[in-house]
Amino acid sequence: MDRAAALEKVTAIIKPFAKNVEALKTATDATRIIEDLGVNSARLVDIVLEFEDQFGISIDDEAADKVRTVGDAVQMIVLKTATA
Amino acid sequence: MGVRIDRPGLRVQELLSQALSPLTYGALAAWMRFGRRYRIEELRRVRTEFMAQAGNRRGPLLICANHLTLIDSLVIQWALAPWWRFARRRDAFAWNLPDRRNLATFWWWRVLGYFGKCIPVVRRGTAEQARQTLDKVIWLLARGQSVVIFPEGGRSRVGRVDREGVTYGVGQILQAVPATRVLCVFLRGRGQKVYSDYPAPGERFVVSLHGMVPSTVSAGIRGARDLATQIVERLSEMETRYFEDAGVDR
Repeated sequence: MDRAAALEKVTAIIKPFAKNVEALKTATDATRIIEDLGVNSARLVDIVLEFEDQFGISIDDEAADKVRTVGDAVQMIVLKTATA
Repeated sequence: MGVRIDRPGLRVQELLSQALSPLTYGALAAWMRFGRRYRIEELRRVRTEFMAQAGNRRGPLLICANHLTLIDSLVIQWALAPWWRFARRRDAFAWNLPDRRNLATFWWWRVLGYFGKCIPVVRRGTAEQARQTLDKVIWLLARGQSVVIFPEGGRSRVGRVDREGVTYGVGQILQAVPATRVLCVFLRGRGQKVYSDYPAPGERFVVSLHGMVPSTVSAGIRGARDLATQIVERLSEMETRYFEDAGVDR
């Protein structure tokens, strides 16, 4: 999966959890999921589980803990879908 | 080579807390009853229900409650059993997980917290800090202790059971100690509108209990999410019933 497609799907997955939807529309790799998008930290787990379901990948706790920005999520998904 | 004692700090705290429980419980209950003039509606019914649903049996017990004030866990302990029951049963006097910052407000809170079986936690801390707290709770439950926990992860900022803030730690705990019984406790002061530090003086509390056995076919964090969600849904149902009985439109 290429980065653009992954970014599009990632933002779509985050959208229901984001309080700052405007920031999501202009999200870049550097956009922080909790601080910039207003996602409740407790909901990050739901987002990671959604990534697993939507992309057919498995994400361990260590990898999930490293997801801080939209770019982190996209990078992880591109790598995991390439090796899946 | 000596024998290594697992978690000596918690063991010592448990022994001291138990020995002093009549004093700590008595002081806190007196403060709530006479200092703040709090009352629990149908106290005898609540205690009878607690004994019927959970108190008569030994073994790990997770008391899952909604959360609106800093002293919810104190009011819950007061509501569930008289001091002499806690003095007789080491496992019945439940552990609590207050926010470290709140417990640090006054030095005497820290002392009371220690002897009141409190494990200070760092809210919104690192994953490692959350794991350390989970490990302690799991260790205590595996020893047959009782623990009060707030699945919402903090005082609800919306004044109702807050599904948005739910963390799945409670599910992970149940996965780690499957023998744990779950008792959902809904607590709310009649005059409580939103969250606060303390209930207003003279507050009257309504307490309802519901024992449940959450289950899931999933493993890992999905399973933890299933279990935690079932508990929070139950608390939400109990809240809905409270407002229906009170004739308040949610």
